[in-house]
Amino acid sequence: MQVFLQTLVGGLSLGAIYALVAMGFSLVYRTMGLVNFAHGNVVMIGAYVASTFYLTVKLPFVPAMVIALVITAGIGLVIERVLRPLENKDFDLMLIGTIGFGIVLEALATLIWGATGRAVRNPVQTAPLDVLGVRIRTYDLVVLGVTALAMVLLVLFLQRTKRGAAMQAVAMDHEAATAVGIHVGRSNAIAFSIGAGLAALAGGLAGPLLYVSPTMGGSLGIKGFAAAILGGFGSIPGAIVGGLGIGVLDSYSAGHFEGYSDLVTFLVFTAAIMIRPTGIFGERTVNRA
Amino acid sequence: MIGEYSVRDLSVHYGGVCAVKSISFTVAEGQSIGVIGANGAGKSSTLRALMGLVPRSSGTVTFDGKDMSGVPARNMVRHRIGYVPEGRHVFGGLPVEKNLLLGAYARKWNAETRASLEEVYALFPVLGEMSDRLAGALSGGQQQMLSIGRALMAGPRLLLLDEPSMGLSPKLVDDILAALQKLRDQGLSLLLVEQNAKLTFEATSECLVMENGEVAMTGTSEELRKDLRVRKIYLGL
Amino acid sequence: MTFRSRRTLRLGSLAAAGVLLYALPYGLGSYAIHVVDVAIIFALLAMGLGLVMGIAGQVNLAQIAFFGVGAYATALFTTQAGFGFWVSAVLAMLAAVVAGLVVGFPALRVQSHYLGIVTLGLALAFLNWIINTPMAGGADGISGIPVPPLGAVDLRDEYLYYYLEIVAFLMALGFGLFVVRTPLGRRMKAMRDDPLAAGAIGAEIPNLRMTAFVLASLYGGLAGVLYAGLIRYVAPESFSIANMFLLLAMVIVGGRQSLWGCVVGAVGLSLIREWLVDFSTYAQLGYGLVVVLMVVFAPTGLAGVPVRVAERIDRRRSADRAVLRPFRPYEPLDGAEHAGPEVVGLEVVGISKHFRGVKALSEVAFTVEAGAIHGVVGPNGSGKTTLFNVISGLYKATAGQVVMDGRRITDARPYRLSQAGIARTFQNLRLFGALTVRDNVLVALDRTRTRFIWRYALWPVGVWRYDRELRHRADALLDRFGLADYAGATPGALPYGIQRRIEIARAMACAPRLLLLDEPAAGLNGEEVRQLSEIVRSIRDSGVTVIVIEHNMGFVMSLCARVTVLSGGRVIADGTPAEVVATPAVIEAYLGDESMSDAPLDLPTEVK
Repeated sequence: MQVFLQTLVGGLSLGAIYALVAMGFSLVYRTMGLVNFAHGNVVMIGAYVASTFYLTVKLPFVPAMVIALVITAGIGLVIERVLRPLENKDFDLMLIGTIGFGIVLEALATLIWGATGRAVRNPVQTAPLDVLGVRIRTYDLVVLGVTALAMVLLVLFLQRTKRGAAMQAVAMDHEAATAVGIHVGRSNAIAFSIGAGLAALAGGLAGPLLYVSPTMGGSLGIKGFAAAILGGFGSIPGAIVGGLGIGVLDSYSAGHFEGYSDLVTFLVFTAAIMIRPTGIFGERTVNRA
Repeated sequence: MIGEYSVRDLSVHYGGVCAVKSISFTVAEGQSIGVIGANGAGKSSTLRALMGLVPRSSGTVTFDGKDMSGVPARNMVRHRIGYVPEGRHVFGGLPVEKNLLLGAYARKWNAETRASLEEVYALFPVLGEMSDRLAGALSGGQQQMLSIGRALMAGPRLLLLDEPSMGLSPKLVDDILAALQKLRDQGLSLLLVEQNAKLTFEATSECLVMENGEVAMTGTSEELRKDLRVRKIYLGL
Repeated sequence: MTFRSRRTLRLGSLAAAGVLLYALPYGLGSYAIHVVDVAIIFALLAMGLGLVMGIAGQVNLAQIAFFGVGAYATALFTTQAGFGFWVSAVLAMLAAVVAGLVVGFPALRVQSHYLGIVTLGLALAFLNWIINTPMAGGADGISGIPVPPLGAVDLRDEYLYYYLEIVAFLMALGFGLFVVRTPLGRRMKAMRDDPLAAGAIGAEIPNLRMTAFVLASLYGGLAGVLYAGLIRYVAPESFSIANMFLLLAMVIVGGRQSLWGCVVGAVGLSLIREWLVDFSTYAQLGYGLVVVLMVVFAPTGLAGVPVRVAERIDRRRSADRAVLRPFRPYEPLDGAEHAGPEVVGLEVVGISKHFRGVKALSEVAFTVEAGAIHGVVGPNGSGKTTLFNVISGLYKATAGQVVMDGRRITDARPYRLSQAGIARTFQNLRLFGALTVRDNVLVALDRTRTRFIWRYALWPVGVWRYDRELRHRADALLDRFGLADYAGATPGALPYGIQRRIEIARAMACAPRLLLLDEPAAGLNGEEVRQLSEIVRSIRDSGVTVIVIEHNMGFVMSLCARVTVLSGGRVIADGTPAEVVATPAVIEAYLGDESMSDAPLDLPTEVK
């Protein structure tokens, strides 16, 4: 039982990171109808920038995260601007274009920070809590808390603000959105940069949990995307559920199948998609013209 | 002229086909003009070209004395031209009220917006009853009302409507007609593109009858109502 | 240029290429030949990816895993099971095909980005397995793979191995080009451009998707076998996701829709990668950027550049020469045969179709007489196209049934209905945009089922003969429809009226017994409408039953024996054109005004 719970706790904190990544995927999809395969690499850049300002420049953790957020949002703007000619035209081609950006980002990271990677010191240096014999690291709680906060803010943004509503309107019907006066291009650019900002949040928080390296984007991106689809692509609560689900699945398969955890995770994921392609919460229908 | 919407020699080409051939008309302030004709006569293309959603091959459009040629579609609403697209095009995944508020996207959301919202609910009470329902779950007639309501939220002086009666039952067409008459009486200028001639004759004072991209007839709605040629154009006799 | 000199030129360049390929090793050092050997393997991989992604339109990010399965299976069968190299090679190819089936299976349920993530996930799962299973040697991989024995030829020599690879490569390229230019490849391209229209003309989409993945896995497996024989050592890092993306870059840069493009991209990037081996990160940065620039500015890749240039020149030239010729009528059936078994009627019985509570059709019922032209009219949004979609199997009816020739055909898949003799056109034109006009017709002429694909493996000559016969028939059909001048053009650039006619020609290529025309006169001018009437009449006279949706009432009135009028998803009138226009409900539906129906009317022109 104790092992079971300990595995669950470990899975949840990693799952929270996946959930943040998934939220970025879902937001961009819901507002633009685009899948950004470079998202994982933006997460990686976020992790590097945050850790650089935290470890090398010796800023406190929070300002380092803010800088990372701003820089990745800028990267998001660049990606959106370059691929804009393909928007609402060729979906698969855009997908390949974002893969191209992913390759570029990974190469840039290797050039700037080297290929070896680095470990990031835990910013919350308190003793782990002990609940019913299960050890819970304080940092895990921080990660879960930030994820929950990000979800709440994002849902509020989409449901309560004018800009948030406009972004969704663009994805549902960009012609009608134009007719009510929404600048579709600008709306997409903002959506993309918020998505990238979420990536930085995920990357920065993942730093102390995982090892920061140029290749971390690949696995975080794929698992995060899988989480988004599992939860129901485009749904924010779906991203959370999917992320936690993949995290826990990962954690248990690592416990039971050791090295084969990725194999098991992806086979289960494939089976889940085959059974229910629209995910747990159902894909948010996007009318792509 | 104040509030006058004037179209001169408008032509539209789609992939080599001439959809609209050099048509001209004027909507004076507070006037309501109808454009009728069978499917494929070029009515919708005319409206979409006026909105800037498809490129015009030639022609000039002025509103309130200002040249509207260079105005992108997204800024029409800021010139107080509202548009109700064919096939309704509501934001299906958003609640009714959010749809309406988005209609006022170009304005500040404040007490005035709230007042506009109440006006729309007064015009279409059913929307008020369903304000938190997803727009995609509404019936066709309710979606049409929502689409009109959304366009009204921006406080337009001219409303362009593209086939508001499409796919609606006669009862619902009458409801739409009543709403249009009310708007007309409030002094809103209307440009109504329709297949349903009866609705158009009752909602407007003057009409253009289009056939194969050209204006086949013009006249007051009263005259045209009695003209048998209109029916022939419709039924292809 | 005459046909003969063009042929001489082609033979000449092939001969020159052959000499070059033969002589190449003589000019290369021992390291350079190794680089070339590896580049050829990448070319094979890229061709496989080009076939599945560029030709069949299936996003496949597991091509590198097919490569891995081929290589690892060869290694395992030779070192662990002790089989000989060639036996292992055959088994490895089979293993790769199994992998292809596994990876392709999700494509039956999901497409596009979903398929991308699933295939990528499966590739990672494979990588995870080979890194961890003790049998595969973990990160160290498997060494000690034997040299492929080949008589007296010592394949340890990389110069000689080059010739083995070249033979395999040329065969693979030849087979790939053969597939692309014959019925199977055309069907896959049609599926890529428009799966809906492809299904409606008889392509069995699920089988076709699986076939595409199997083809890709065959190329991947072959590359894997050759790789194992060349390096004689396999390790996980060769099959990483980074290499998958490199492979993707090769295909995008070269041009995913052209096998030649894939080869050029693969060889080019392999050589550049080798050249920049000391600056590998810069190389990575470079090819990432190239992928981005390519998708934005040259989506068809390097292979597309000459085509685009040629198209531009060609358009200018052919614009003045190409003419739409008059339609040559079909041979009419004799009166005695007119009601023969070939000619079918259709019965629509109480069809309803609801979309999330919206009633698009309510209990629509009418009968179409065998060998007649039947009109379906009604205002916008009255459910006409929905009705067609139900009849042609694109939508499942909520209730009711459609009976053709005494057989219930409701809810059958579109390709089954196509095989049963129903063909249709689409309101918004659904021609295969990247195929030529001739290919559009060829896809429809080919009435074979999936099992025909076996002939590619067993009797390619038969395929070739069949294809030649199809081409003759396509030319005859295009000639009949007056489209011969446009055979080599892509439809998108042609005038609207011609595109409409191509769609009818394509539908007739299916040799239908029932033809559904959805607004065939939309966007046509007066003369074109007159020609259309003539075409539709001739089609009817040849024994095909026709149902036509139209809003051009004049067209309907002069052409149809009977007309069904829909409004709000219900049938409001059914009868001869004269009866129908005199029905008050029809006038109300169209004009919204019943009172106008009292006035006297001229009756429409006599129906022929």
